[in-house]
Amino acid sequence: MKEFAPLLHGYWYLLRGAGMTVLMAGVAVLPATLCGIVIALAQVFGNRFARGAVVAYLFVIRGIPLLVLLTFVYYLLPLTGIDLPPFWGVVLVLAFYYAAFMSEVFRAGILSLPRAQWDAARSLGMTRQLMMRIVIFPQALRLAAPPFVSLCVSLVKATSLVSIVGLWELTMASREIVERTLAPFQIFIGAACVYFCICYTLALYGKYLERRALVGH
Amino acid sequence: MPFDPHFIARLIPALVEGAEVTVELAVLTMAICLVWGLVVALAYGMRGPLGWIAGIYIQVVRNTPLLVQLYIVYFGLSMIGMGLSGFASGLLALCIQNGGYVAEIYRGGLQAVSPRQHEAGRALGMRRWTLYTTVILPQVVARIIPPLTNQAISITKDTSQVAAIAVMEMMKVAQVWVESSANTYDVFLGVAIIYLALTSVINLAGKLFERKLAFVQ
Repeated sequence: MKEFAPLLHGYWYLLRGAGMTVLMAGVAVLPATLCGIVIALAQVFGNRFARGAVVAYLFVIRGIPLLVLLTFVYYLLPLTGIDLPPFWGVVLVLAFYYAAFMSEVFRAGILSLPRAQWDAARSLGMTRQLMMRIVIFPQALRLAAPPFVSLCVSLVKATSLVSIVGLWELTMASREIVERTLAPFQIFIGAACVYFCICYTLALYGKYLERRALVGH
Repeated sequence: MPFDPHFIARLIPALVEGAEVTVELAVLTMAICLVWGLVVALAYGMRGPLGWIAGIYIQVVRNTPLLVQLYIVYFGLSMIGMGLSGFASGLLALCIQNGGYVAEIYRGGLQAVSPRQHEAGRALGMRRWTLYTTVILPQVVARIIPPLTNQAISITKDTSQVAAIAVMEMMKVAQVWVESSANTYDVFLGVAIIYLALTSVINLAGKLFERKLAFVQ
C-alpha cells in the first residue's frame, strides 16, 4: 500500500475538488432543465418559426463538442469586456449545451404518452392549460425521469472539461496533486473513484426511477 | 481582425490537417469498439466471473469522465513503465470508454427482440444458425443502428478531449492558432463548421442505413 501514500496525503484536496464538481453540475442543471422544458414545449406546440429555431439550435449544439464551446467562451469572454467570473461563464455554457439534450428527453416524454390520454382530457372539456398541468406533465415527467438522470451523470462527467480551460474542480485538483507528488497513476485512479461514487449513485437512482416508471404500465 | 481572407486561407489547410487526425481517431475508435463492445456484451451475458468482470467494466467506464481515463492512460501508464504515444493513449482511452457504451447498445438490441421470435423460428424447424442469421440478427441490427449513429457522433465530438494530452487533432490545432494569432472568431467558426460537417455526414449515413433496413420492422 506504500504506493498509494500520495493519495492519502491528497485525499482531502480531492474531496474539496469533488465538492466543486458537484456544485458546478448542480448549479448548471437547474437552468439546463428549465431551458430544456421550454425548448421541448416550443418544439411540440410551437409554430413553424419556433420549431425551425429549435431544430437549428439542436443541430448546432449536437454537432459541436462541448470542449469547443468552453474554449471559445474562455478566449472570448475577456475580448467582449463582459465582466463575468469564469465560473458563471462555464456554468452558462454547460447549461446551454445540456439544455439541448434535456429538451430531447422531455420531448420524448411528452410524445410517448398514448394518444388516448390527450383525447380523454379533451373529452372531459379540459382547457389546454389544465390538461397540460394535471394530465400530460405529471406523466411525461415520470417517463422522462430516468433518461434525465443519465443526463445528469453525463453532466457531472462533463464538468471535468472545465479543467482544460483552467477552472478548479476535481480533475484540476487531481492534476495539481500530480504536479506535487509525481504519482499520476494513483492520483488519477483516486479521482476516477470519486467520480465513480458520484455518478454511480446517480445512475442507481436512475435505475430505481426506471423500475418505478414501469410499474404503472 | 475577424474574417481576414489571408488569415482564413492559411487557417483552412491547418484545420483540415487536424481534422484528418480527428477522423482517423474517430474511425479507428468506432471500428475497434464495434468488435470490443460485442465481446463485452457477450461476456456480460455469461454466468460466472466473466460476466461479473464485464458488468463492473461497463459501470466503471460509463461512470467516470473520459478526460480522467485519458490522464490515467497517458500519464499513469508511462509512470509504471508502459508509456504510449499521445495518439495511442487517446485511441486506447476512447476505446475503453466507448466500448462500455457500445456493449450496452448491443445488449439493448439483443434484449429488444422478443423471445417469441426465437420460439416462432424454432417452431418452423429452423436450425440455430439459420434462425440467428435470418430472423434475430437482422432485427438486432435494425434496432442498434440509431443508437450506434449517436455513439459515432459522440465519439467524433469526444476526440476533441485528446487535445488535453497534446495530440495535434483539430481542437489542439485550433488552440495553437488562437494563441498565436488571437483571431478567435475565425478559428472557432472554422472548427465548429468542420465538426458540424463531420457529424452531419455520420448522421446522414446512419439515416440512409436505417432506411435500407426499414423492411425489418
